[in-house]
Amino acid sequence: MGGRGNMKAGKTADVQPPVPDADARDAMGRPVSHRKTEVRLGREVQAQIGQQLRAMYDAVVKEGVPQHINDLVRRLSEQDDGAA
Amino acid sequence: MKLDPAIRDQVLAAVPSLRAFAISLCGNIDRADDLVQETLLRALAHIDSFQPGTNMPAWLFTILRNLFRSEYRKRRREVEDADGRYAETLKSHPEQTGRVEFEEFRAALAKLPSDQREALILVGASGFSYEDAAGICGCAVGTIKSRVNRARTRLADLLAIDNVDDFGPDRATRAVLAGGGRN
Repeated sequence: MGGRGNMKAGKTADVQPPVPDADARDAMGRPVSHRKTEVRLGREVQAQIGQQLRAMYDAVVKEGVPQHINDLVRRLSEQDDGAA
Repeated sequence: MKLDPAIRDQVLAAVPSLRAFAISLCGNIDRADDLVQETLLRALAHIDSFQPGTNMPAWLFTILRNLFRSEYRKRRREVEDADGRYAETLKSHPEQTGRVEFEEFRAALAKLPSDQREALILVGASGFSYEDAAGICGCAVGTIKSRVNRARTRLADLLAIDNVDDFGPDRATRAVLAGGGRN
């Protein structure tokens, strides 16, 4: 297996899943245990939250100013008496 | 007297974000547009109380939030009813996320207590500072920070539960972990 592995080293590396194996260490040099995986999932979800929150919000922002609201503001700002 | 066009333009410039905030509060685009309209009527009627040079969006958001809060007590039922309408009413879906993901996220967001949801939106989406968000909500900066943190934790829990299906046998364990947080 070692010889084959050497010959196809490039391909083998491509096929390997990007999942940390049992020897993986985190930034502090500690083993990435099951518990660590839970925490990391939490961080991924946190990043996802920020992204989805902004995506949801920006989808509305991109719609701009609805015509009727634009008309309303312009009409009111021309009046002598504001919106009274 | 007529409104200073510069002030009028500041008001108009704040409308898209104000709408997004209103929709996130109401969950219903028709009601949100009513709320925005009511906010603008009130703002323009009291434009003298706006100090030029200060934060126009924050001023408008404060008015909108107060209107929503006073209305919310009267119309709580409609807020509960909002689920499911939001995505349909958008002309365009967020591009970064798939429809299912987006629906899950929106549903999770709707489950948050309203004070946590608004704090998270103001800071995480509208881009207000903690200080501005505290001003808009009429509470201490520390309160906003704590609400944002609780909102993030709760959302993470809710989304983790939703993702459990992808992990099969670990479902029960993950559900317990996700549900048994620090609350």
